[in-house]
Amino acid sequence: MKNLKKIESSLETIKNDIKEFYDPKIWGFLTLNGVCIDIETTQIQWIFAKYKAIDEIVMFYVDVKLSQTVPTITDIIPSAIISQREIVDMFGINIEDSQKGLYLDEDSLSTPLAGCGI
Amino acid sequence: MKKTITIPLGSQHISLLEPVKFRFVCENEKIIDVSSDVGFVHRGIERACATKFTFEKIPYVVARICGLCAITHSLCYTQAVENLLDGEVSLKAKYLRILLVELDRIHSHMLCLSHVSENAGFEAMFMQIMGDREYVMSLQEMITGNRVQFDYISIGGVNRDIDTNISSQIKKNLTIIKQKVYDYIEQFENNWSLSLKYKNIGKLSLDMAYQYNAIGPLARACGLETDVRSESAYLPYVDVGYKMITRSNGDIYDRNMVRLYEILNSIQMCENIVDGLPSGEIYTKLKGKPNGESLVRLEAPRGELMYYIKGSGKPLLDRVRIKTPTFSSIPAFIEVFKGSDYGDAPAILASFDPCMSCTAK
Amino acid sequence: MKSSIIQAFKNLLSKPITIDYPASPIIKPFGYRGLIKYEETECIYCLKCEKACPPEAILFVKTDNPSSNEKNKKSLEYLYNPYLCIYCQECVRACPKPSLALWQSEEKPSSGIMEDKVNEKWFEIENLKRGDKL
Repeated sequence: MKNLKKIESSLETIKNDIKEFYDPKIWGFLTLNGVCIDIETTQIQWIFAKYKAIDEIVMFYVDVKLSQTVPTITDIIPSAIISQREIVDMFGINIEDSQKGLYLDEDSLSTPLAGCGI
Repeated sequence: MKKTITIPLGSQHISLLEPVKFRFVCENEKIIDVSSDVGFVHRGIERACATKFTFEKIPYVVARICGLCAITHSLCYTQAVENLLDGEVSLKAKYLRILLVELDRIHSHMLCLSHVSENAGFEAMFMQIMGDREYVMSLQEMITGNRVQFDYISIGGVNRDIDTNISSQIKKNLTIIKQKVYDYIEQFENNWSLSLKYKNIGKLSLDMAYQYNAIGPLARACGLETDVRSESAYLPYVDVGYKMITRSNGDIYDRNMVRLYEILNSIQMCENIVDGLPSGEIYTKLKGKPNGESLVRLEAPRGELMYYIKGSGKPLLDRVRIKTPTFSSIPAFIEVFKGSDYGDAPAILASFDPCMSCTAK
Repeated sequence: MKSSIIQAFKNLLSKPITIDYPASPIIKPFGYRGLIKYEETECIYCLKCEKACPPEAILFVKTDNPSSNEKNKKSLEYLYNPYLCIYCQECVRACPKPSLALWQSEEKPSSGIMEDKVNEKWFEIENLKRGDKL
């Protein structure tokens, strides 16, 4: 896709990368997203869009395994808390300071999107 | 001895239209802390789109996420898939798509305004706005065959055409509605018990709007100039006469005014489309299967809607991610509640216009 | 304030705008979306309508007494469920002979209020068909 710019990062440097990049008056935070690559790996994406520009979108991405913990960005962007809670419910990945239970109850099917829907 | 008390605005309440649960921690009627629960209507649509339905059937599945903004979900997904196939949609189909999205915006804003007047105690105005909304619903039934779930958009164009009979009826109905909206503006500007008592209540300042990423009419009432109709090039909004409407105070009165003037702008856009509709085909066949990543945004009545899809050349897609406008506004709601009186909470919630079936998909 | 008093008097003296159905009839618009109709003698059994339907309301199942159409090589029979159908016309658009073999009429579907468990037999047929494929 023409206007989508993807930047690769790693678990240790992602928080610093976002802190240097983000300016609340120029960039608007859209959401977090998770894509299943294979049975053990999930790709987590942070998506931003520019105000007053036509279709300029930037995406940071990291490949994460099930046993690792992703750092939280709620001290830089307070409205990311709800997207982080959704990723914990749907994929089963650990994110700091985000609890389970946004959509699913305790006695229902858990992590429906993990493992490529099998 | 404890100084605070916990009061629920629970999932069952007299003035609540949507299934959402809030727990307010109050001290002497001022709200200090809020905890919320959404997700009472979770149906697992993202998993169904990746395992059970092929990519040609998904516009019909996704339109049934919400009743008020059904056509915006369908259109945003279709535009994301058309990015990955080869072929071009004709200009006439794009104009017809804008016509239906703007008619949808008119009736959704009228529903929100009638709910706001009911919360203020003016029940006669609620019934009058709902009665006038029937002019728009009968237009939609004439164009597409249904009042709420249109099933109008398919990959490559639209399903039905409009002829001279329908165009003259559209202009007649829109002239009637325009006169009624001028009457509403006069009531909302001068009546004390309907809207003047809401000045400086439920305020969101411009700095907080930047910090919490507010979108839609909520942001435009604070002075933040953001609207996907001017930040995206998939639909020709500039040729049709679109104007951005902003206010600067950010309270409940300003949000009502933004919605009323947006209805007037949408009526003007629909009349321009019916007068200047180009000629051509309404449907072109697009070939291929989706392969790659694509991300598209669209302006729904409540804010900005985003679809991300990923395909790898097969009939079933790998991932469909849906981000709805009410989902991103929930942190801003919670911030506005802190510091206001408990008695104003239903009126503040109605002026945000939440749509919970979009949030908990 | 004055305009709302005038509006209140007008509302007092005018008729209500609610239509009291079923005492007075509702006018159907032009192009009403009704039931799907099928003509067996024109069908060529290409099975495109079964693949195109979003809720899978059309099924072709094997039968013991097939019709005398020469194109029906696998002894199939057409079944249609009006309670699952969403009346979207995708099947008519996918058919190679749209007004001859498959078309949408303006007949109103029945509402199924007095019937009990309307879809049980249909789900049994679907399970049998899925079992045949595996």
